Amino acid sequence: MKTAIFAVALAAAAPAVTHSDSILTICIYAFLMGALAVSFNFIFGLTGQLSLFHAAAFGLSAYVSVLLVTRLHWGFWISLILAVLAAVIVAAAVATLCFRFKLREFYFAIVTMALSEILRLWIQNWYELTNGTLGISFVQKPEIWTPYGYITVSSSTSWYFVSLTILVAVSALCWRLQQSWVGRAFSAIRLNEQLAETMGIDVFAYKFLNFVLGSALAGLVGVFYAFYTGFVEPDYLSVTQSLDIVAMVLLGGVNSVAGPILGAFILTALPHVIDMGAEVRVILYGVVLIVVILALPKGLRSLVGRERHAT
Amino acid sequence: MIQVVVTQMLNGAIVGALYGIVALGVTLTFCITGVVNFALGAFMVLGAYFTWWCHEVAGIPYIPSVFLAVLAVSVLGYLADAGLFRFTRNHLVNGLLVSIGLISIVEASVLLIWTATPKNLSYVLPGVIRVAGISVSQIKLVISAALVAVVAATYVGLTRTWFGRSAFAYAQNPEAAMLMGVNTARLETMVFVYSTSLAALGGGLYASLYSIEPSLGGFYILKGVEAAILAGVGEVLGSLAGGVILGISENVGSIYLPSALRDAYGLVFLILILLLKPAGLFGGKK
Repeated sequence: MKTAIFAVALAAAAPAVTHSDSILTICIYAFLMGALAVSFNFIFGLTGQLSLFHAAAFGLSAYVSVLLVTRLHWGFWISLILAVLAAVIVAAAVATLCFRFKLREFYFAIVTMALSEILRLWIQNWYELTNGTLGISFVQKPEIWTPYGYITVSSSTSWYFVSLTILVAVSALCWRLQQSWVGRAFSAIRLNEQLAETMGIDVFAYKFLNFVLGSALAGLVGVFYAFYTGFVEPDYLSVTQSLDIVAMVLLGGVNSVAGPILGAFILTALPHVIDMGAEVRVILYGVVLIVVILALPKGLRSLVGRERHAT
Repeated sequence: MIQVVVTQMLNGAIVGALYGIVALGVTLTFCITGVVNFALGAFMVLGAYFTWWCHEVAGIPYIPSVFLAVLAVSVLGYLADAGLFRFTRNHLVNGLLVSIGLISIVEASVLLIWTATPKNLSYVLPGVIRVAGISVSQIKLVISAALVAVVAATYVGLTRTWFGRSAFAYAQNPEAAMLMGVNTARLETMVFVYSTSLAALGGGLYASLYSIEPSLGGFYILKGVEAAILAGVGEVLGSLAGGVILGISENVGSIYLPSALRDAYGLVFLILILLLKPAGLFGGKK
């Protein structure tokens, strides 16, 4: 806990030290991806469901908010709420389908992957609305209230604080839930579903809650990600994007909140720090992924500190 | 109209046979090593590019080129198994991630060496056959026949030889198979390498039909996994049938429904199968 507060304080002070736009940009991407990885780990690390729908929830909310702001000229905040609500509704439908039919492990992963691909193809081919594979570029930025009045979040420094806030909020929520009796019910389902059911845990209800909440958080991150980059495209929903999130979580270490953040930082910053061609970066990404999976099956988190949570 | 439908069905069946050969690799690897090997897509790309290189650059005739490519990819498959996948046996998520890492490496390397420009093999076997107003190119017929022959040979090999039966035994009960004298470590490696060579063969044959590009592996492995699940994981002949059904439903579906969504039809089919008959179309009791 102390370490976490210290890390947040350190991160909050960082812009005072560096004014380098590129460092801030890397940090913003890493914070947002970190929040996304934490929300994925909320599903995968706690109840053990390998959801490949995560990027779809992320991308769906991004599209809904962007379309509301650019086509209907609604405000950012109302669009944000509706976009997260859209992710909740779709995730609830997916969860009902998968968990009512009791899909497990590999089959759950395949069905969520298929559903997210269908969603991506649908968005990609609704050309009049979404501009197809070209995506939508836009200039609108959110406005937030500060003690100094309303400001438009457009500079790197302001985005730095916004993304840091999201990361902290998402992590704190996931951490708090993990520590609570709800989190223990999630873990019980992961460790032994039948036993959990016997102990009186409503497996369907908890899996449903877990999946919908995790997807809603992914949607929240997706909206901010889209407004930071000022661009959405169907690839936001691709399976590759989902697998990238899985890679971040496993790289850092499952079942802790710090692990996914660490993994997200490494995989996001790595291509920026090392300056070389796009192909070499992808090769390096693959090598790092393989080496970590094979050499450190519990993730990089296992190198630092001991695990506090027994499960 | 009926001609259009029949032509599309034939085209679908040929593409579907290619899905089927990848699906066979997916099914075999999954049953024996417990890993869904997405890297088969990468091996398919390598098979296609090696064939192209042998034929177009080194000037070797087409059929020996395919054999050389399959051989080279099998060696790579063996190295990948010995160096990487040996450590992910029966660990689905780790195997998945390692194969994703491998796809990234292979795809980027192919891009580096041969660039993103699609490569075309010069016509291996020109000419078309016309029957009742429906024309099919000869090469497509020959390749479909070759794919069917390979799947049939695999089926015979698995059901009629000692080694094949030991693979079935292992898939049913690894410990019992081990006690009966099956060298399980060697079996796993051989099945893994055989699957990669099937994918390489698919790639080599694909190269004579369509132009090749680095991203085709990712597309075909998804279709292969779909076809394998559609048929029922573990079904040898079923994987070919699953691929053909998938290919035909996509091609015929795109006549009547928007063709931009053709990739979605197979997915809808897949979801329905998994929800209603999880053992697959041809699978018996699970």
